[in-house]
Amino acid sequence: MSAGALGKRAPRRVEHVIGARWRILALLTIAALLAGAVWARLAYWQVLRHVQLSAQAQSQYHELIELPAVRGAIFDRNMTQLVVNTTVYSAFVSPDQVAARDRERVATGLSSVLGVDKAAMMQKLESGSKFAYVLRRFPKAKADQLRALKLPGVGLEDETQRSYLPGIAAGSSLAANMLGFVTYDGQGQRGLEQYYQKELAGTPGYISSYRDLANREIILGTHTHQDPINGSNLVLSVDANVQYQAEQALADGVKKANAESGSVLIMDPATGGIIAWADYPSYDANNFNHTDPSLFADNVSSYLYEPGSVMKVVTLSGAMNQGAITPDTVINDPGVLSVGGYRIYDWDHRNHGNINYTYVLAHSLNVGAMKAMLAEGHAACYSYLKGFGLTQPSGIDVAGETSVPLPPQDQMSDSQYATTSFGQGIGVNMIQMLAAVNVVANGGKYAPPHVVERVGTTINPLLLKPQRQVITGATAQQMTAMMENVVQHGSGWTSRVKGFELDQAGKTGTSQIPVNGQYTLDVWASFVGFLPAKHPKFTMIVVMRKPHYPGSNSDWTLNDGYLTAAPVWQKIAQAMVVDWRITPD
Amino acid sequence: MTSTRILTRRRLGATGAQHVPARRRRRTRGFVQVAGSVAADRLHLNSYGHAYLWFGAALIGILFYLALAAQVTQSSYDITRLQDQQRQLVAEQDQLRYQEVTLHAPAQVQQQAAQSGMQRAAPTAYVPAQQVAIDLQAPAGAAGTDATPLWERYLAALFNKVGGTRDVMAAGRH
Repeated sequence: MSAGALGKRAPRRVEHVIGARWRILALLTIAALLAGAVWARLAYWQVLRHVQLSAQAQSQYHELIELPAVRGAIFDRNMTQLVVNTTVYSAFVSPDQVAARDRERVATGLSSVLGVDKAAMMQKLESGSKFAYVLRRFPKAKADQLRALKLPGVGLEDETQRSYLPGIAAGSSLAANMLGFVTYDGQGQRGLEQYYQKELAGTPGYISSYRDLANREIILGTHTHQDPINGSNLVLSVDANVQYQAEQALADGVKKANAESGSVLIMDPATGGIIAWADYPSYDANNFNHTDPSLFADNVSSYLYEPGSVMKVVTLSGAMNQGAITPDTVINDPGVLSVGGYRIYDWDHRNHGNINYTYVLAHSLNVGAMKAMLAEGHAACYSYLKGFGLTQPSGIDVAGETSVPLPPQDQMSDSQYATTSFGQGIGVNMIQMLAAVNVVANGGKYAPPHVVERVGTTINPLLLKPQRQVITGATAQQMTAMMENVVQHGSGWTSRVKGFELDQAGKTGTSQIPVNGQYTLDVWASFVGFLPAKHPKFTMIVVMRKPHYPGSNSDWTLNDGYLTAAPVWQKIAQAMVVDWRITPD
Repeated sequence: MTSTRILTRRRLGATGAQHVPARRRRRTRGFVQVAGSVAADRLHLNSYGHAYLWFGAALIGILFYLALAAQVTQSSYDITRLQDQQRQLVAEQDQLRYQEVTLHAPAQVQQQAAQSGMQRAAPTAYVPAQQVAIDLQAPAGAAGTDATPLWERYLAALFNKVGGTRDVMAAGRH
């Protein structure tokens, strides 16, 4: 029995030992698994998520403050500052920090100084929110008043703003369309502000430091400091006084002619520098956020129009330079010419008989212009259009220039050449047209139009490049004499400046506006000229869009350039003669 | 060439360096330790006394730190205040510059001139070298002789008006 008992005990002990080992093994496995899980989790946080977590941690104690660069100023040719940086303020309130007993006082203070609605302010204060703007971008005087009140929960934030000089009326600033404006986030929009954004804005700097839990700077921390590079100043070829005179004369002219809009562009004949760039109607760049966006469009560079008879200057210059005609070449003008299957008339539908080209230009005869084009040939005509800069954008340094390229030479029909010779069927902007006529004023050389003379201390590279010779000096002189004749005996008589009757050159232009392929009675009226004729100090173009001159309902020729645009030209030229002390040769 | 004297000196130098006995560094006690033990000996401090002494020293340290922190905070406030003042002065300077620029602006000059009763003078002092041989009041050039038959002109005008012609309108006038 005992042996049997012993015999039974032995396997039980073995089972017990084996069971204990299994349990230990199981426990070890579980412990290993648990430890593995902890280690795996640890590895996840410390290895896989390391970059993200360290970045989060750094963001809590590391601070990078941007040091804004001062935007460059803009000066005119006499170093009159056209744009100034000023500081404006925005008021904010933290309603949760304003005690109930103080709400009335805070609302009253804010409404009395900033003119905000008191009831709306009370509602804002009672909302208990953490932050709300009260008013954005008001002047320093109001900020000082508000500061003196020491209102609880109210704070001030300073911001930089571009301030532009006042224009001719309360709702406009000087040269707004040419200068453009700067948005609240510092981005230049339109005009020079947009074109020279990079140069004007500069490069902001920064300062980085560490902060403790109480948001205090740790003085001994590692600081990185980069000074901002302020924007460069621009010096323009513009004359602020002439600009003002141009804006004033233009506004009067547009109102008198009852036109839709008008523009003036004045250029230095020798350099191509723009002296004045005026649009009417215009806008106030200081108040751009409350301006009708349609007024931002700059009609000088972005409005395409058919130049009309002003183009005859280009056509006849090209033909004379080619040797195809001379000012005295006699042609027969029956008042109509058939070209490419089309019968094209002179403006007056009259037979003018035998006339010379001086007479053609003075009386703006389409048949004469077409005959000159035919005499020089299509290829030469096209190459002169190119030479005078009418087939490509002028490349002026103001944002927003628009142009329509001419079709290739071989794709232009006979009738297209014919209409182009007297300025119809070709779309140009004012800069292109003025630069083209300026070739005559500049002794036959093309002066690339530009507004900026200097960026910081660097001269505009355009000024250092040689100018391209388009026509000979002799041809330019002949054309000048013909254009003088326009003022003395032709359609330009309304532009005569006192004392310069024998010493100014000009050409009128009127072209009908096409709508859906049909010419309407609305016109673009223009006048271009330079003065003094032999040694010009300026070249100027005036364009009126859709003038409705008093009485033009019965006689629509009253809307012509000589009655609407030339008087504006004369008024501005008269002011320039006085301001610049110009004397006749 | 190296002289024998130099060789001897070198040999002596080399052997001399080998035989120099290594210096034993004296253990020195710090000032605090010395002062502490001297003070303990003289004051006959027990363990509580030591504890009080350490506590007092720590307190002084904390007070010193607090004073320093207060000073730093005060300086920080001063810096912030001065920065704010600087910003205000810059703003004021900007304002003054704008006022100055505006004073010279053509619009302002014109307005002030008008208020003072000034008027822009027309240039009347120019004396041309020769008399103007043209009629300044003459209108645009007279039309030439037109030999086109009347019926043809009327017909052309009529067709142009109704748009029934393929002719391009002679729009490029003056």
